[in-house]
Amino acid sequence: MSHTWINYALNLARMAVAATPLRPLVVAYCLTTYCNLNCVYCEDFGARRNALQPPPLPLDDAKRLLAIIRRATSSLILTGGEPLLYPDLAALLAYARHDLRFRHVTLLTNAALLHESLNVLPLLDRLMVSVDAADPTLWEQTIGAPSGAAQIIRDNVIAAARRQKADGFRLVINCVVTPETLAQVPAVLDWCAGHGMLFSFSPQSANNWPRYALLVSQEYRDLVMAMIARKRHGAPILGSMAYLQMVWGFDPYPCYPLLAPRVMPDGGLAYPCRPIERAGDAHGGHDVNLLEVGDWRKAVQHAMEVYGAPPSTCGSCYQQCYVEPSLMQARPWALLSELLLYKASRQGGIATYAPG
Amino acid sequence: MATLSHDTIIIGGGLAGLTAALHLAERGRRPLVLEADPVHVGGRLKARPDVTFEHAGQLWRFGSEHGVHGVWSPYRNLQAMLARHHIRPVLVPAQEEAWVLAHGRRVRHADIGSAIRNSWIPAPFHYLGMFARPRFWTMMSVRNFVSLFRVLPTLLAALSIDPLAEDQPLYGLTLAEVCKGWSPDMTSLFTGLSRNALPANPDQIPASGFFAFLRFYTLRRRDAWAFSYFPTDSARAVIAPLLEVLHRLGGEVIVGAQVTRLARVEDRWCVEAAGRAFTATHVILATDAPATAALLRASPATTAQAAGLRLPGGWPSAVVRLWFARAPERRGAEAGIFSGDFVPDNFFWLHRIYDDYIRWARATGGSALEAHIYGPPELLALPDAALLAQVIADVTRVWPELKGHLLHTALTRNEATHTLLHAGRPEEHLGVITPWPNLFCCGDWVRDANPAMFMERACVTGIKAANAVLQAYDVATWPLLAAPRPEPLAWAIEMDMRNIRLRMKARRK
Repeated sequence: MSHTWINYALNLARMAVAATPLRPLVVAYCLTTYCNLNCVYCEDFGARRNALQPPPLPLDDAKRLLAIIRRATSSLILTGGEPLLYPDLAALLAYARHDLRFRHVTLLTNAALLHESLNVLPLLDRLMVSVDAADPTLWEQTIGAPSGAAQIIRDNVIAAARRQKADGFRLVINCVVTPETLAQVPAVLDWCAGHGMLFSFSPQSANNWPRYALLVSQEYRDLVMAMIARKRHGAPILGSMAYLQMVWGFDPYPCYPLLAPRVMPDGGLAYPCRPIERAGDAHGGHDVNLLEVGDWRKAVQHAMEVYGAPPSTCGSCYQQCYVEPSLMQARPWALLSELLLYKASRQGGIATYAPG
Repeated sequence: MATLSHDTIIIGGGLAGLTAALHLAERGRRPLVLEADPVHVGGRLKARPDVTFEHAGQLWRFGSEHGVHGVWSPYRNLQAMLARHHIRPVLVPAQEEAWVLAHGRRVRHADIGSAIRNSWIPAPFHYLGMFARPRFWTMMSVRNFVSLFRVLPTLLAALSIDPLAEDQPLYGLTLAEVCKGWSPDMTSLFTGLSRNALPANPDQIPASGFFAFLRFYTLRRRDAWAFSYFPTDSARAVIAPLLEVLHRLGGEVIVGAQVTRLARVEDRWCVEAAGRAFTATHVILATDAPATAALLRASPATTAQAAGLRLPGGWPSAVVRLWFARAPERRGAEAGIFSGDFVPDNFFWLHRIYDDYIRWARATGGSALEAHIYGPPELLALPDAALLAQVIADVTRVWPELKGHLLHTALTRNEATHTLLHAGRPEEHLGVITPWPNLFCCGDWVRDANPAMFMERACVTGIKAANAVLQAYDVATWPLLAAPRPEPLAWAIEMDMRNIRLRMKARRK
């Protein structure tokens, strides 16, 4: 059984001698690629693409898959599509938590169906919900939902926030910053702070590159500077200072995608990262199936043989799930200062830095 | 001769010209691009004839090109433009770059690229990360170590002078002068590096260009030395989709239109190309430096002032591709520089970079290498067979296990369009704004304070030229993305060094 911090230490040694692959700090498993929303910034899934998506794994296979993942890391993110659409979510979470003893389990959801699945909350270390705007109309336009959906999600989130202490999990709100929702972000942060929730944000990507309107926007840079200042003053912002400074100027960054690999619903390892895997062709894919190989290291080794070694540098997608673990792994002093200086960063350990 | 009227004509359909055209078309203008090549647009990114050969009972076809394989991380405006139109290919991050050094039979090599860009030591001292690689030590003689104390001041000097922003041509100072007193190996390393960017002999490479190259690609940030490959040749990865978008937005491109003369008729420009005449209020010159010089000197409207300009010359190069029936034993870096007594200047293992080559290698177990030769002229004057023989000998000197496994060869000769970067006073060098009314200029050789180089420079000056036209029509211009900021330590040293230099200069006065 691997532990995230042990993997972190081993990775430091491997990086010193430029050895590959690095061990995962956290694995994100896309339980299902079905979704009930159509977020404008989602280039992957969404309800409009449901007909094209394969069905999720049966519970037994999903359990077997988690057991393989557990041998690689102790931190797990369950995501989708929309993971609450997975019919056996509670049973799978119970298995991950009690049988496999994952040390840190995160559920990444849009929370539209959370009121029907409150039983999963005690099984989580962290619940992560996407909230992109404070204004309900703009929010509904952003997530492609009918009128009234924003209020339902808001109610669900507040209900979950109230149960944090009792159920022993932390609620994190993740906000995808689009040019349209830019002005709303501070209000979302205020709302989070008011309800005892942590807040994180990531800039919208289009074609695996920050959206042009954000790249050239002074308002966007002002917003990030304001977020940096608020984090320094104790605002519950989850996201390392290194990450915030990087997305201020969209600087290049060292990227080690296998620190936070994604597993597709059928058990296929998205190699080396989701953007390259999605493009397919000769450099990436998800043909190497964990269930077929039966072992994490062998699967990664096999993927390396098929597609080549994973990259160690990329200035491309700026997706927080890849950037944060890469920055924290490549800059141990940045991680140390995060843990020492910022309370929000301590709540969740190293897996904090891969919000998905 | 019938005259066709347009509001903007862009002469040259390379990356700079297409960038200018696209930015004009996006703002509702309808630019006309005139390209001299009879078939392809793209300039140094244009498509070349495919290479085909039979192997393992099958006919294989491979794209061919000038030798531009991808983008560096500071190429932000180019990537932003492609992403904005959803045509940015999924780039393939480079893994490693090797330094291969040979003197006679002794061949040494070390993988150093990732040691520089992923170094734990901040810029500008990140190069010390190379010492973490055991193989690098094997390349370091005592003389090389001593030489490091001469290399360091040069790096600091490059940090203190921004030849492009300060219009510092450093006339008379060449790379050969800069490297004086260095050990042969250190000279080889830096000459090899700079030859890949500024393809000339060390005594011809201006120190200003060398400093600008160091500053933009490696000196001020560790991750500036991060390269990403296109998944396929540049014509298919960039030019074809760019052209499609341009057509969709109303831009027009005419190929086979070699512009022979520019004339000023009242307040418009008359452009003569391929027996046709076009008139336009604005003209953007987006040709390479030698073609621009020829056109300006041949046109009565521009010839007088053009005579007083320093227009850089172009340098030819050759691209050799070798296909082998087997792969090298040691996987090593997928690309690297040759220095010492090699004929080629760099190499790329294409079967690890391009999709079609990877598929071929997986199917057959073969490998394919591309090597670039940047000179000297007497070497490039050799017949194809002699040049190929020398490259094959060099490649098998480094990878002897490939001897006897050569399947196929291809040699492409590039026109003398690659340009040494010049810096200097605006009255001596052509910038985006030219001495002539409504005539603008763009390209990777054009004088501009922006630190960008090559494709990014073509893109930046293309956007600036488009902006100059848009301003005339009172239309919103395009913002430019700044190059990544220097790392804090590099920035602090840069400021200190610059202040010291300026103080010394003031004292001398």
